[in-house]
Amino acid sequence: MNSDHSDIVKTSNKQTRRKFLDIILGAGFFAWIGAVLYPIGKYLVPPKVAEMSVNSVEAGGISEFPPSSSKIVRFGRRPVIVFRQQNGDFHALSATCTHLDCTVQYKSDTEQIWCACHNGLYDIEGKNISGPPPKPLMQYQVVLQNDKVIVTREEMT
Amino acid sequence: MRNLQLLGVILFFMGFLLAEQQPIPKEDACIRCHKEMDEEQEEGQKLFPDILNDIHLKRGLSCADCHGGDPEAFDDEDKAMWDNESFSGEVSRTDEIAMCGSCHSDPRFMRQYSTAIRTDQVKQYWTSKHGMELKRGNKKVAICTDCHGVHGILSVEDPRSPVYDMNVPSTCSNCHSNSDYMAEFGIPTDQYYKYRKSVHGEALLDNNDVGAPACNDCHGNHGAIPPDVSHISDICGTCHVNNDQLFQESHLKPIFVKRGFGQCEACHGNHEVLKPNDDFLNWEHGSVCVQCHEDKGGEAKIMADHFYTLLDSLKGQIAIANSFVEKADQKGMEVSDLLFPLEEAHKVLIQTRTSIHSFNKDYVEEIAKPGFEATKTAIEGGKAALAEFDFRRKGLFISSLIITFLALALYLKIKDIDRKQSKDKS
Amino acid sequence: MGIYESLNERLYLDKIVEFSKKKKVPVFYGTIWYYLGGVSLFLFITQVVSGVLLLLYYQPGVATAFESVRFIVSKVEFGWLIREIHSWSANLFIFFVFLHMFTVFFAKAYRKPRELTWFSGMLLLFLALGFGFSGYLLPWNELAFFATKVGSDIAGSIPVVGDFLLRLLRGGDEVSGATLSRFFGIHVAIIPAVFTVLLGIHLVLVQVQGMSIPPELEKVPEEDRRYMPFFPNFALRDVLTWLIILNVVALLAVFFPWELGVKADFLAPAPPGVKPEWYFMFMYQTLRLIPAHVWFIEGELLGILTFMLGGLIWFFVPLLDKKAKVGERSKFWNWFGIILIIYMITMTIWGYLV
Repeated sequence: MNSDHSDIVKTSNKQTRRKFLDIILGAGFFAWIGAVLYPIGKYLVPPKVAEMSVNSVEAGGISEFPPSSSKIVRFGRRPVIVFRQQNGDFHALSATCTHLDCTVQYKSDTEQIWCACHNGLYDIEGKNISGPPPKPLMQYQVVLQNDKVIVTREEMT
Repeated sequence: MRNLQLLGVILFFMGFLLAEQQPIPKEDACIRCHKEMDEEQEEGQKLFPDILNDIHLKRGLSCADCHGGDPEAFDDEDKAMWDNESFSGEVSRTDEIAMCGSCHSDPRFMRQYSTAIRTDQVKQYWTSKHGMELKRGNKKVAICTDCHGVHGILSVEDPRSPVYDMNVPSTCSNCHSNSDYMAEFGIPTDQYYKYRKSVHGEALLDNNDVGAPACNDCHGNHGAIPPDVSHISDICGTCHVNNDQLFQESHLKPIFVKRGFGQCEACHGNHEVLKPNDDFLNWEHGSVCVQCHEDKGGEAKIMADHFYTLLDSLKGQIAIANSFVEKADQKGMEVSDLLFPLEEAHKVLIQTRTSIHSFNKDYVEEIAKPGFEATKTAIEGGKAALAEFDFRRKGLFISSLIITFLALALYLKIKDIDRKQSKDKS
Repeated sequence: MGIYESLNERLYLDKIVEFSKKKKVPVFYGTIWYYLGGVSLFLFITQVVSGVLLLLYYQPGVATAFESVRFIVSKVEFGWLIREIHSWSANLFIFFVFLHMFTVFFAKAYRKPRELTWFSGMLLLFLALGFGFSGYLLPWNELAFFATKVGSDIAGSIPVVGDFLLRLLRGGDEVSGATLSRFFGIHVAIIPAVFTVLLGIHLVLVQVQGMSIPPELEKVPEEDRRYMPFFPNFALRDVLTWLIILNVVALLAVFFPWELGVKADFLAPAPPGVKPEWYFMFMYQTLRLIPAHVWFIEGELLGILTFMLGGLIWFFVPLLDKKAKVGERSKFWNWFGIILIIYMITMTIWGYLV
């Protein structure tokens, strides 16, 4: 009698243990699923900067560039100077002076690019025309699209 | 006579046999004889082969155009020289300026060779210190050939020319560093030594930056003279435009002019222009302001202290930003984005140092502001990168915990099933 | 059980369940090696999942490949994790596949009736190496660029077909954007498709033929052999192993991240220390050691021909190992395998020491 009773108790204990184990297993499994799906889920949501901008950068709206104005924008890791002539034409050049790496400026009165460090001068196409700079500035393309000014780089094959 | 003619014929043929590699510009009598004579000359006195590179010869002029004589008088020394009226032989030092100028100051003549070439060299020369001394009868000054060479004159553009950009300092120092030679003039002879140590000397002679000034860029070429003390800023301002402009507009300029102080030179030196140090503003140690402002607590000190603190704090922020970014980089985080504001901050630092020349507190602060903003961005970015790094470690820890927990539960389940199965079997 | 019943009426699931119940795994000192196939499979699945996720942001092309990878690891949330998992899992995958192959070899599991399983497995190994070689180029960094150059140069020295093969691989004469394009297509479309088909065949064969046991165990009478049912016992153990492997990958991803490197530049000279990936190192080192000329044959050519011959022999071992066919262990092939392993390990280590 007693052994039967103890058997039943043992079995029911085992059942409870088993159930408990199953619950823990289930809980662990769900926790694991969560730990896997959470990063994947976050990964799928596009980041604020939706695309790596390396080939083109938006410099701003056209209205931000009245004639005879300029702005320095970041193109990847390099500064690019975007400027607009009196007649409305847009240009974009590398903003790093080829002499000793200072940042250049646009002089709207003479429509030239000037480097304040040692008085280097470039024309609107980036050609070094006066002063110490040994090389011209790299040219970038400017495209106007949907009232925005887009600066792109020439493709290298 | 016949012997001489025979000799001439033999020499003529020998000339061909011993022909130089270089084409002889114009085979005239002068060159032919003097080439022979050259072989007996000592090394330093030889005319050939250098004279064949001479720009005058290459343009079709001959020895006779300077020295006179008859270049067609082959094998006849007397006809070529001694009996010829135009022959002048060696040109004396006092006559040289006029002789060179006889062509080089004639626009109509020079136009044939180069439409853009200058023809005011002689005029300029007479205004120079060299010219003025020469007028006074002192022959110990530089004349045309002392700098340009004499028989192998090369274009200024030719790197072998003694007046090519990079060769100018050593050409000038041939005399100006020779203390014995210069003794009677009472001027220092350490200019080259000082220049060599300066940023300009380094740039030109070590880094081959032809944008850097040589002696002539500040002193003038043919009109070489030390710059007028009240216009030093204009000279330096040829390149250092901003520094000059700011200084001209500052309250210091009129004072410097009135008192005859050397403007840029007063703080930066003239030949030994070294890389400026922020300590120039440090009143306690290294200040250049105290040369004039001997008072300890005046407005000058307040301004200098302010500038110094500003620069110091910007440098400090840059250093902090650098260390954060470097730390994040070492930990393997992607920090290429942060290099941009770091570079920006460094550029603003340079601009701030330039802005000091305005001696205007508000202006300098305005220039420095974007620098602080950039360092702030970089520091925040660096901190975020480090935080992300910690987040990843923490995330790993939590995930490992979950996995371990699950693995343990699974293990227990496996054991449980095994036990159940073996019990069922028995 | 409503869902099961309705599915069962249409898909005859009962048959599958019955079949699965019969699947069993032998229990003896060598049971542990039976996990390796499953681990390889798990790592492959990890590769597919992480690879597809990377595919959502990766942009092939000379101007965009490197930048998009940089974008993934710096801007996309958990992008670094996905990329690291993919890189590490790739290496572990190849390692475990090699291990799986060698344990199968020494257990002689390739003998009749399982020759096809061996053949499909060898093809899978070859494709896995192709996965590795093509995938390595995709981040378009300096090391990858030059490793690909060196690797395809070696392919180019195969006699007769070498030049054609080189141009086929590179999409031209040099490693360029065309190569990147091609490798991308190979890596995400061609190899996955072929791999999946072969993997399907490989797995079906294993299910249909059941687990093999080494020749020694076959001598033990049936009653004395111990087995455990695949479902649920071995399957759960499989899952446990996979969990542990997953944790290892996560640890590696956080503590030993792969560098982004420097963007590839056609014009730059090769950086010092250009090496192929570790799983090619033993071949690379061997080729480096062979003298330029052996008798009248060019050294590199001899090396490549030897590798090809060796590969063929290894591939056809189920047909060549006569003893295994009759359930005996061949000493010759045993030693062949042991020496091969020693050779590969030695050459790999040597390659890194130099």
